[in-house]
Amino acid sequence: MNFPAFQKSYGRRTVLAMPDFALEPGRVCAVLGANGAGKSTLAKVLAGAVPADGGQRVVPARVTVGYLPQRSFPFRMTVRQNLLVTGGGRQRAEELLSALGLSPLADRRAALLSGGELARMSLARALMRPCRLLILDEPTAAMDMESTVLAEGLLQRTCRETGRTLLLVTHSLQQARRTADDALFLHRGRLLEQGPAGRVLYQPDRPETKEFLDFYGS
Amino acid sequence: MGKAFEQAAALILSGDRELWSILAVTARMSLCSSLAALALGVPLGIWLGACSFPGRRALLVVNRTLMGTPPVVCGLLFYLLFSGVGPFRRLRLLFTVPVMILAQVTLITPLVVGNLESYVTAVAPPVRETARGLGLPPWKVFLLLVNECLYPIFSVYLLAFARAIAEVGAVSMVGGGIAWKTNVMTTAIMQYTNRGDFSKAIALGIILMALSLGVNLLVSLLQGGVRR
Repeated sequence: MNFPAFQKSYGRRTVLAMPDFALEPGRVCAVLGANGAGKSTLAKVLAGAVPADGGQRVVPARVTVGYLPQRSFPFRMTVRQNLLVTGGGRQRAEELLSALGLSPLADRRAALLSGGELARMSLARALMRPCRLLILDEPTAAMDMESTVLAEGLLQRTCRETGRTLLLVTHSLQQARRTADDALFLHRGRLLEQGPAGRVLYQPDRPETKEFLDFYGS
Repeated sequence: MGKAFEQAAALILSGDRELWSILAVTARMSLCSSLAALALGVPLGIWLGACSFPGRRALLVVNRTLMGTPPVVCGLLFYLLFSGVGPFRRLRLLFTVPVMILAQVTLITPLVVGNLESYVTAVAPPVRETARGLGLPPWKVFLLLVNECLYPIFSVYLLAFARAIAEVGAVSMVGGGIAWKTNVMTTAIMQYTNRGDFSKAIALGIILMALSLGVNLLVSLLQGGVRR
């Protein structure tokens, strides 16, 4: 899956300048970087939530994209209905509810969920849609460790079984090391490193990446 | 004053026919105009709040201006439109309930639009972003937005009904306050006060407040069923 180079600016400030890059099908690619590095902007542009400069189309039209924003909105209905509103089947909804430990909460109104429960529901809802590229922006930030491990396992299984490509935006180096096959490292709106996670997350080339790993890995 | 209240209570309990006529006209006018304003204002408010298009700001400015329209100016406009020299004179609607409803819809719809637009402007971006990520079609996004707006729609309806039932300037100009035909509670209160018939004026005032309380209670009960 190849993506052309693009830029994203707000006013005169360029917040992201990406060279052309590629993602491998069926693999998990972690996007890492400090706050303000451009991770969420990359997710939004690829998802089509915001246009790249000049209205450039970054993802080919044939590629279906699923996107879970950082602050996913719980629709005013029950947890189960939040999943079914996507048009996915009831069986798939029940499988996802069960996989993320949400079955006992299925008939509860989404607005009554805790932050972690809401994050699990949002992830389950995002997985309802069959798509080739799934972009998740900090999907486990509000989850406890147990739920995070459940979610990571589910994501890895989903990618392997369906051949979906997962772009996982995270600020957690540990999460990236646990789940990612590949990694992108962004620094101040620029892509500094890309490649297999084993290299980028353990033996990076750039000093900025090393500094990030030293800080977050300690 | 106390005697007037006693007389008012007796009047309410006696089932005075003129009083019932005034109540019936008021109910018909207020319910029709507030529901029509809601039917027009809800889609418009959602559209203005959720969509960005050239001219949106100008439309918002126009709507905010219309929200402050003085009722007598609205009454004057409809009087001129439907009077013997107006373009709609052949319809013979002046001094009828339908033209009172039209004038009230004109006054109330901008309030519905403005209030709903403010709410939708805040809630639409996260709903749209989430829905886009899920690949939902535009019609489904619109329905989800309406679903998110149910609670404010009830609140806006209350506002519309309160404005309709309490309005006097426009309805007195285009309705004329004709007994048994277009006299509503507000115009009747003015007439009775001018005649010095305070007991009837107070009776109507009490009923007006009681109706307002009743509608508020009913909508509050309905709102209870519309949980987040």
